[in-house]
Amino acid sequence: MNQEASINFSEDEKDILQEIMNIAFGNATADLAEVVDIYVMLSIPNIQVIGIGELPFYLKDTIKDDGESSIVEQKFWGNFKGSGLLVFPSGSGKDLLAFLDDRADYHHEGTAAATLEKGGLLEIGNILIGACVGKVSELLSTFVTYSPPQVLQGKSSDYNYLIEHFDPLQTAIVMKTIFTFKEKDINGFLLILTNHESIDWLRKALHEFMGTYE
Amino acid sequence: MIFSQMFDMLDVGIVILDSELNVFKWNRWMATHSKLPPEKIVGKSLFEFYPDLNTPWFLRNCKSVFTFGNFAFFSQKLHKYCFPFKAYNTLGSDFEFMQQSCTVGPLRDENNRITYIYITVQDVTEVAAYENKLITMNTRDGLTGIFNRRYLEAKLKEEFDRHIRYNRPLSLIMLDIDHFKKINDTHGHQAGDFILKSLATTIDERIRAVDIVARYGGEEFCVLLPETTSESALALAEFLRMGIEAEIYHFKDKSIKITISQGVSDLSDGVDSAEALLKKADDGLYESKRLGRNKVSMISNKKKVQ
Amino acid sequence: MINTILIVDDSPVARRMLKTCIPKDKGYEIFEAGNGQEGFEKYKELHPDIVFMDLTMPVMDGYQATAKIKEFDKEAIVIVTTADIQPKSIASVMELGAFTLLKKPAKTESIQEAISKVEIKMKKLQEK
Repeated sequence: MNQEASINFSEDEKDILQEIMNIAFGNATADLAEVVDIYVMLSIPNIQVIGIGELPFYLKDTIKDDGESSIVEQKFWGNFKGSGLLVFPSGSGKDLLAFLDDRADYHHEGTAAATLEKGGLLEIGNILIGACVGKVSELLSTFVTYSPPQVLQGKSSDYNYLIEHFDPLQTAIVMKTIFTFKEKDINGFLLILTNHESIDWLRKALHEFMGTYE
Repeated sequence: MIFSQMFDMLDVGIVILDSELNVFKWNRWMATHSKLPPEKIVGKSLFEFYPDLNTPWFLRNCKSVFTFGNFAFFSQKLHKYCFPFKAYNTLGSDFEFMQQSCTVGPLRDENNRITYIYITVQDVTEVAAYENKLITMNTRDGLTGIFNRRYLEAKLKEEFDRHIRYNRPLSLIMLDIDHFKKINDTHGHQAGDFILKSLATTIDERIRAVDIVARYGGEEFCVLLPETTSESALALAEFLRMGIEAEIYHFKDKSIKITISQGVSDLSDGVDSAEALLKKADDGLYESKRLGRNKVSMISNKKKVQ
Repeated sequence: MINTILIVDDSPVARRMLKTCIPKDKGYEIFEAGNGQEGFEKYKELHPDIVFMDLTMPVMDGYQATAKIKEFDKEAIVIVTTADIQPKSIASVMELGAFTLLKKPAKTESIQEAISKVEIKMKKLQEK
């Protein structure tokens, strides 16, 4: 945690945020089982507050890309604002498609396999990111709007493009969770990045949340 | 009052569904394009009118919006359309149905509970047609109409990776018109162009739909053969060689005969990249030229076959 | 009669939240533990009337701790609290002998309802 961030965010606030994330991701796991026919397990999220400038390095360390992992990115906005990043390890993209085993339902033949695969990634990304961000928002009594997800095909060694809409001097909260598709033996991780603008609001929302328990 | 007018004035389809996926609202745009007035569909299940939407992916996405309050996006690229509406022929497109980009989102009541979801439908036929044109321009060779070198190289990489992963046979033929310069010099460039076009057609007619024929350079062509052993590729090359040797091309009042030299390659002998596959075919082609042209060769462990 | 309650959760915030949902006018004595192992030790020491047990915890998780407590005292009343309520987790927790399962975040109504259910059960046991 860098200096500036610790000034903005107290240990107590971090604890509250951690518990909200535990609840949110737990709720998301439970509800995902209802939405998709497969048991998706989300680990307890790890929360880190880091400077935006460090983010590309953090991502490089975390993603450990060997050039083949698939990344789905989706922006969300509202009081709670940021990006969701879903990272599948190399090679799992194709196996993942089996999870959406109704691809034949895409009622148009001649859709290229690559397009289908990308579509599958986008759909899973949209649902997982929506589930996690949605549950956090719900607990914090707000709601967010989403932009369409996209499969990132930027240079894997360079994550700078991810932070283009962030001010480099600001801080970001990174929430990282590992998800596992139980029966399919596929796992990857999900990052939710929120920027500085949201931190002020988030602090207020955390206190309001705890306020209902005092 | 003004806000409710928006609902019908927008050039976007808007549908509101309840939690049972019954139609709650159906705006004028939807009524116009579907030819279903609101009074016919409101209160009824959406699937009664659009049974094709009753699929796991549609249900899953609607459920997700109800549960998490997220959005679902049905892109034109993947889904083409959600509602089968007739397309207006813009830009000379040959789409039978209107291409659509659809978004599903949540609507909350005063207690913040998601009680309805909306679907917006945007007509993107024109964009899709334009995109198709661009794709054609980008992947096809302007003169012959077959694929260009850029497309071949991309496909070659893709197919190479796929075949290696699943351990499947993959072959490539590289071919070149013998003494093409002489045709140009004797009959003129127009005749040369005509030969290139005709040869492209001749090859295209003799290969499977999954095979990819591309113009690789001036008078050089490549045929990429997925799921094909070198034996089959050599047989096809021989079939092409004989067919073209026997063909007489008529340009204006001239009769032109051509022959081709070919090189065949497959994934054996340490071919560990798409480039190596190309190189091996090119080596075969060179060998055919060296042996006097109108030949098929495959360099295998530095030994030639045939 | 319920006199003592033990809250087992690794998150101090979660314990704080749960504590505020427990009625204050009944004079319950509330104890806390930060993981399953500590929870089991405290159970042996204090014999609380109710244990609120989180599932995901370091050192020893809630499944193990519940099993150990029930092994030690088969009459123990363990109320599991978790954010991830699924038929699967409900089944495995009930199999361990948990009294009931409550969804996180803790809600005053559901906590009080669970406590009164425990009271009814204890009364019935006393009448026997």
